[in-house]
This record gives sequence, structure tokens and C-alpha cells, in this order.
Amino acid sequence: MTKHEFEVAMTCEGCSGAVTRILNKLGDEVKFEIDLPKKLVWIESEKDVEFLTETLKKCGKEVKYNGTK
Amino acid sequence: VFSTTVGVEGMTCGSCVQSIEQRIGTFSGVIHIKVSLELKNATIIFDQNKQSPDSLSLAIEDMGFESSLSE
Ligand SMILES: [Cu+2]
Ligand SMILES: [Cu+2]
Repeated sequence: MTKHEFEVAMTCEGCSGAVTRILNKLGDEVKFEIDLPKKLVWIESEKDVEFLTETLKKCGKEVKYNGTK
Repeated sequence: VFSTTVGVEGMTCGSCVQSIEQRIGTFSGVIHIKVSLELKNATIIFDQNKQSPDSLSLAIEDMGFESSLSE
């Protein structure tokens, strides 16, 4: 699986909690890690970057793709 | 025009409130939305031809917050 790094403008635990719930809904197809202080989200998935970006944007915060890791 | 109040769980601060108000506020059929951090709810005035309490609650769920229909 490819590991992608995204920058999500999270500011508090509410944001990281929302991102967690959004990604959990995708089920087994994604594995992820969140670093709230660094505002980074790593996602391991075969889904394309566009889909993952749109999914992250649902939380209402700005999302930037940093590339694969 | 209808008004509904739905429960919202998972917000921790004013920025959570803002992101919900901003995003849901842009949805078609939403006339006004006021989110309360203390009461853990959102009061939404909407056009019943375009939205319903269910669709609005689902939209909040979609953002990653837990939402429930209170009435
Ligand atoms: Cu936040
Ligand atoms: Cu917050």
C-alpha cells in the first residue's frame, strides 16, 4: 500500500477526532496516523489522492497534499 | 421554512463550532445555522424542500462529528 502525507489545518482535538471518525468510516481500506501538533495525517491506502483529499476536506479544514512517504 | 435542533458531539472549541457553521451554512436549502458548544447542538433554519432534519444530521455526521435528532 502507498503511504501518503497530508497537511490538514487541525487546531484542536475536535478536529483530529473528526478526521479520525471520517477515516474510520472508510473501513479496512485505509490505515492512518494523525499528528495533531504537526497538523499531519499519514494515510496508507490504494485509493487515489483526489479521493483521499476530498474525504479529508469533509472535516471543513484546509487540506494540502505533501506527497508519498 | 422549518427550524430543527440536532445534537452534536465531539466539538471541543470555537473553531469546531466555526467549521460546522461554515460548511453546513453553504449547503443548499440551509438558511441559517447556529451551533452551540455548551449545549452540544446545532439549530438550523432550512427550506424543507431541500433539506430535512435527517439530511442535516447526516451532513454533520459526514463531517466527523456525532449527531443525533433530539426531538
Ligand atoms: Cu479543532
Ligand atoms: Cu475545536
